[in-house]
Amino acid sequence: MTVLILTSHQDVTTDMVVAELHERGVPLVRLDPADLPGEAGLSAEYVSGDFHCYLSADGRMVSSKSLRSIWVRRPGEPAAHAPEPSRWLSAETGQALYGALCSTTARWMNHPRQADQARLKPWQLRFAHRSGFAVPPTVITTFPRVAEQFAGQYGKVVVKSLSGPPRGEPAIALPTALVEPGTDFAGVAGGPTLLQRYVPKRADIRLTCVGGRMFAARKVSASGQVDGRYGDTGQVWEPAVVPDRIARAVHDYTGLAGLAYAAFDFAEDAEAVWWFLECNQGGQFGFVELETGQPIAEAVASWLAQEPRGPA
Amino acid sequence: MRPFIWNYAQHNEGPDAPVPYAYNSAAQLNLLPDGRPAISDRELLLALSTTTSTAGSQTHFDD
Repeated sequence: MTVLILTSHQDVTTDMVVAELHERGVPLVRLDPADLPGEAGLSAEYVSGDFHCYLSADGRMVSSKSLRSIWVRRPGEPAAHAPEPSRWLSAETGQALYGALCSTTARWMNHPRQADQARLKPWQLRFAHRSGFAVPPTVITTFPRVAEQFAGQYGKVVVKSLSGPPRGEPAIALPTALVEPGTDFAGVAGGPTLLQRYVPKRADIRLTCVGGRMFAARKVSASGQVDGRYGDTGQVWEPAVVPDRIARAVHDYTGLAGLAYAAFDFAEDAEAVWWFLECNQGGQFGFVELETGQPIAEAVASWLAQEPRGPA
Repeated sequence: MRPFIWNYAQHNEGPDAPVPYAYNSAAQLNLLPDGRPAISDRELLLALSTTTSTAGSQTHFDD
């Protein structure tokens, strides 16, 4: 039985898991949807009430019947490397690839349906609260007056993107930023704006959950630092103990979300409360493993290597 | 109208630095010029920041 990994060639975080699977002798096929059609190929046939699919990549062929698991790590846009790429061709290719794969009984990390839902920040906040996390007050609005009132109510607020930075050139970063008092909120009418009460933090926490196994890492924040991803403070990620209350909340959240993999970001305040900031269903773990030595790639490989469940 | 958050946008500094490894389809791994897997060089990966939560965010929003 084969593990299918959907990712780009350059992704060395994938390499960490591939090496683990190689050590176990688990067959795998690494395929970038961007290479389909072209370097990668697909054929799916509907016969007698079921789809039977073959995928090829770099000379390897795998049948959908022999898939034990599918890891959606960092796939390229379907057909992005085609000689004449287009949005239409990407949509066609995505339908063919993910439609065929969703018809298998393979286990997903994570299933596209759950992944799409889990990316939605408003959904995250609601289910984080339901799961028992502490969630900072948040507003998403296109009304300048609402934004102004929110900032007035909470004093210090941050602004953050809902969907991340724009893709393409020129390369732009949109770090979470503190909104200064007296700021003009007129631009809020120009696009949905997410404002959140600022959490003065003494550390950033990244908790990676792999099939229920939890790996927490902590990095001391610099004074006044808002977005832990930006700015070299000289601090490093270190392993952290997961409080029982957090472990229960993570268990509930991933269960509600249907996620086999999730990377949670928290801000730890002066009272040691872990404030939920976001949960990234495809979040990076390479940097955490490299700095802490936590065996996250081993955990991912172990999950992927399990035999699939029976027919649905 | 310019969206509010654009007031806080930052330009990323220059294009990504070239990486000293390349994908090898036989191994399904990225290999260094001497044939070792790129992941065997921990210091290199940390220096390149290719595994951080902002790496590749121009093409992927799952960080």
